[in-house]
Amino acid sequence: MSEQNITLRVENVSKHYGEFTAVSNLSFDVRAGRVFGFLGPNGAGKTTTIRMIVGITFPDEGRIELFGEKISNDSQNRIGYLPEERGLYKKMKVQDQLRYFAALKNVSQAEADRRIDFWLDRMQLSEWKKKKTTDLSKGMSQKIQFISTVLHNPDLLILDEPFSGLDPINVEFMIEVVAELKAQGKTIIFSTHLMETAERLCDDIILINKSRRVVGGTLREVKASFSKNLIALRAVGGDSVLEDKTLVAGFVKHADEREIELAEDADAQILLKKLIENGAAISKFEQIEPSLNDIFIEKVNETNA
Amino acid sequence: MRKFLAVVKHEYKKVVLKWTFLIGTLLLPLIGAGVAIVPAIIFSIKGEPTRIAVIDQSGKIAPRLKENLSAERMSAKIKQAAKDSLTDLDASQQERINRSAEQLGASFVFTDYDFAEKPLEQIRRELGGKITAKELDAYLLIPNNLDAVDAKYEFRSRKAGDFGGERNLRDALNEAVRSERLAGANISETQLKDLSKNVDFDSKSLDEKGDEKDSDGVFIASFVIGLMIYITLAIYGQMIMAAVVEEKETRIAEILFSSAKPFELMMGKLVGVGLAGLTQLAIWIISALVLVGIVVAQMSAAGMSISIPNISPLMVVYFFIFFLLGFFIYASIFALIGSMVTTMQEGGQFSLPPIMLLLVGFYFSFAVIRDPNSSLSFWVSIAPFFAPITMPVRILAETPPFWQIGLSILINSLAIAGLVWLASRVYRVGMLMYGKRATIPEVWKWIRQS
Repeated sequence: MSEQNITLRVENVSKHYGEFTAVSNLSFDVRAGRVFGFLGPNGAGKTTTIRMIVGITFPDEGRIELFGEKISNDSQNRIGYLPEERGLYKKMKVQDQLRYFAALKNVSQAEADRRIDFWLDRMQLSEWKKKKTTDLSKGMSQKIQFISTVLHNPDLLILDEPFSGLDPINVEFMIEVVAELKAQGKTIIFSTHLMETAERLCDDIILINKSRRVVGGTLREVKASFSKNLIALRAVGGDSVLEDKTLVAGFVKHADEREIELAEDADAQILLKKLIENGAAISKFEQIEPSLNDIFIEKVNETNA
Repeated sequence: MRKFLAVVKHEYKKVVLKWTFLIGTLLLPLIGAGVAIVPAIIFSIKGEPTRIAVIDQSGKIAPRLKENLSAERMSAKIKQAAKDSLTDLDASQQERINRSAEQLGASFVFTDYDFAEKPLEQIRRELGGKITAKELDAYLLIPNNLDAVDAKYEFRSRKAGDFGGERNLRDALNEAVRSERLAGANISETQLKDLSKNVDFDSKSLDEKGDEKDSDGVFIASFVIGLMIYITLAIYGQMIMAAVVEEKETRIAEILFSSAKPFELMMGKLVGVGLAGLTQLAIWIISALVLVGIVVAQMSAAGMSISIPNISPLMVVYFFIFFLLGFFIYASIFALIGSMVTTMQEGGQFSLPPIMLLLVGFYFSFAVIRDPNSSLSFWVSIAPFFAPITMPVRILAETPPFWQIGLSILINSLAIAGLVWLASRVYRVGMLMYGKRATIPEVWKWIRQS
């Protein structure tokens, strides 16, 4: 992995509030053009870390590098931040609010107007341009807030619970939009409690709890490292193969299927081959992977204990 | 800098494009115009003259009465009443009503009525009939023997509420009877005029250098200026607080802080709202000057000389400077409060102390108007928190030496620097603290930490 490919580098960062340590010696890299899942339970230190990345607060110890440089006010213009706690001016027109947020990111008004039109159209909200926030539904204001995050065409997007308050149809719609942004080469940091969504979207993840890193890496690596070599099998015949101790450590019988634990160093492909050779009619053969949700619960409980 | 200007523009537009601002800005001059112009219009539309029949059984009073009620005499009286009502503010409410009624100056038209040889009862009946037939509005019966103990002057009118006219008539009648009595005591008409002449009371106050200056209207102008600054500072302070609380309550602060420096955001807010305040004041002051011009023009056209306080352009400049000083002092206090509370209601409780400071400053301005050169006036007009109200009042009442104005500006600028420093430290921490109102020790910790 070369240095240019790193959008964000967090290095041994700590943040204290009096006696309380919000973030403790945290390090991770976010690679360019990837979706990075920043996961953790409430109070783990996610928001504190994000606030340090976007330059709202500063680390007590450690270093944060953005686009290869120490964070500065200029780097703020290249970040789009959608906070978990967010809102809009109540009595302002949608267009005026978006213009103001764009101006605060140094976007000229002509350019801002062009992008406002584009994004309102993309979000199917064009007819709400001159309406006030108080006229919008919750889902609509969420979308407007999302527009304010991407209006200045940032290279790094930080989305903290971006789908809260959206109905399932709009969640799918927004996932599509995020995927488009990723395809344009944007780097996306995605913070959420929704493990299913994280699993669908993220290339890499980090899980933090109680101010510390618990586990991290590519989604594949993390899931693989938690894999327990379990196989769900639904088949008629081939029972003799399951007695082979070099392949199978043991199995549990559920209704019409068996959960097989592979022997150490055994290969699932060989087991499958042997079953077929022994004339088993297989309707299901699946390597069971732990879900991100399982990993989350397991690791959080572990570190809480 | 670009971001700072963006904040200034945003805050300015947010205030100025509101209905309340438009109404507030335009309403005051309209009310002023109403107060200044409407009475003038009403004066010019005089009521229908009262048709009156005077039955002078003594035969001595009617000519004098007619002279006393002549147009010439009435207009002199109206002018005096108008002048008194502007200068003598201590007059009771009743007095003022009477005066304005006099200003309305109901006039009389005398109708001839031949009463010779008719008994009183018949006269009353005939005149009563004429009044019912609307041929006549009123009649006055003057008794034969003026000085009899039971001598009664009967006035009957169908204009019941015309107390102005009635008062004029009574005054004129009293004067006529008095003159007749004096004439009876062998005092000539010339002597009579000399005796009853009013003294010419020329009231002027002296300034520092001992030069004469007109005091008419200075009191009102100083009071109005003091009140105007007090009200605007209180309103704009609360406006700043509401804007800060909104950004905190709606969590917009989080987005703002990820885009610009907290100090830029806070100062941008203060400057933007401050400019909106200046806009409003400028409109008010220009319309006030225009209105005063109109009133003065009207009065001099009516032959009255009313001296208005001598307001120089420099005074207007000072006025704006002290408004801005006051604005930044109170706006930074209100911004600080806004960032430590969670709702407008909580902010309301905390805004009592700054409002009290403003009020005390306003009360001090009375002491300043009464005696602009006392040592109390000196101290309150250079003290921070009070000077923005008391100094403009003092400058108008009696411009102090320049070093005192300069000192006041300096001291208050230093106070602003300190307050902005404090407020910006509380602001950048407080704006991101959700959930509960910060306690004073917590705020103190933020100030020392950040």
